[in-house]
Amino acid sequence: MTSIVGATISVPSSRSLCFNQATPRISGLKPVSVSIQKKSFPSLKFRRSFRVSCSAKPETVDKVCEIVRKQLALPADSAVTGESKFVSLGADSLDTVEIVMGLEEAFGISVEEESAQTIATVQDAADLIEKLVEKK
Amino acid sequence: MQMHCFGRKLCCSSYPLVPVSLPSRRETHFWYIVPDEIKDESLLNRYLGLLSSGEKESVFRMNGDKLRKRALLARALVRTTLARYTQVSPRSLKFKKNLFGKPEVEWQPDEKWDPPSLHFNISHTSSLIACGVAADMPIGIDVEEKHRKTRNNISALARRYFSTHEVEYLDNIPDSEMQQQEFIKLWTLKEAYVKALGRGFSASPFNTFTIRFKDICQSSLQVSKNFSSEAYEIVVEALNDSEHLATNCQFAIFELGNLHFAAICTQKDNITQGEEENMLKLKAWKTIPFVEDECVSETDTIIPISGLA
Repeated sequence: MTSIVGATISVPSSRSLCFNQATPRISGLKPVSVSIQKKSFPSLKFRRSFRVSCSAKPETVDKVCEIVRKQLALPADSAVTGESKFVSLGADSLDTVEIVMGLEEAFGISVEEESAQTIATVQDAADLIEKLVEKK
Repeated sequence: MQMHCFGRKLCCSSYPLVPVSLPSRRETHFWYIVPDEIKDESLLNRYLGLLSSGEKESVFRMNGDKLRKRALLARALVRTTLARYTQVSPRSLKFKKNLFGKPEVEWQPDEKWDPPSLHFNISHTSSLIACGVAADMPIGIDVEEKHRKTRNNISALARRYFSTHEVEYLDNIPDSEMQQQEFIKLWTLKEAYVKALGRGFSASPFNTFTIRFKDICQSSLQVSKNFSSEAYEIVVEALNDSEHLATNCQFAIFELGNLHFAAICTQKDNITQGEEENMLKLKAWKTIPFVEDECVSETDTIIPISGLA
């Protein structure tokens, strides 16, 4: 999973525009490894995607994205982020219930019907999961 | 082709949608599009031109071309279908949402014309988009791919979401492929019911009502038989005194082409009595709006499973 959480463009190659603009010296490099990205860009992009402090950890969001991708059989390059709405990703009601079951299994939680209905985006799911995990 | 033009002016060339007469009280009309058959860019652009700006925004918010095309075709199908029954152009139809979010037509007042009380509902899979239409009664439809594989085990899904009776029914099916099919059929019937009620998935959780088949001849409740018989009537029962139960619901389920199950839920016409009158009359068309319509009602594209006259 790319380290750029919350970006609307998922860039398979690591030579993004920002990369080149910010550090022209590095632009000649071949596709860099993940570790270099982290060092050169101390999460400027990360922070932009974070909302107010009580939102879920990026790892939780990532895990939700993974479960959603699997359920909806999305191609690897399709953008799935915290802001992605399930409906926009093409999830129908059966997909949604399967995703909820997948989340319950992955996180060892139990989601009430009423709460499940409030989930519209990946971020909503991740926030709910962390709330439920905390309660355990 | 069974197109009826009842004294209505044939549409002028700007709107070459073949007009259709309104469904009668016991009739449901079912229109569907196969998205893979529509590839022409100019035709898709024409459909785009029918949408309101809000609808266009919704289409473009979908992730990826395939989903956008599907969303576009769904709106185009609704607009062109409803336009066939009315003297209104597809572009000028206005829609609103009811209290619970169910889309409805917002008929524009016009002295010269008394708008029909048309109800519609849409459903889609990746390979089919359908629009059901009824006059004077609410309608809910659902289509699903017959061979849709669930990630979770059928029993686990049923236990989590279905009623006890339905879980028992599914558990009693020894063949796993048949169990999967019956699950999908049950799902479509339950979806169709919830959509006919129009209160949304959340207001009518699946485990608060049971879909059963009543043996028409004996009026007894059968548990072990499967749906595939016309001797059974599909009925719904609420598990508690929920106000959402409609005692006069009418269901039908059929196979559509080789790939899909389709379920319809409307209200029974209480005026006529008798067994035959309890079955739904279906008229179905496969359409490419503005290009061609094919009536498939009496063909083997439609294979009744239950509830159809």
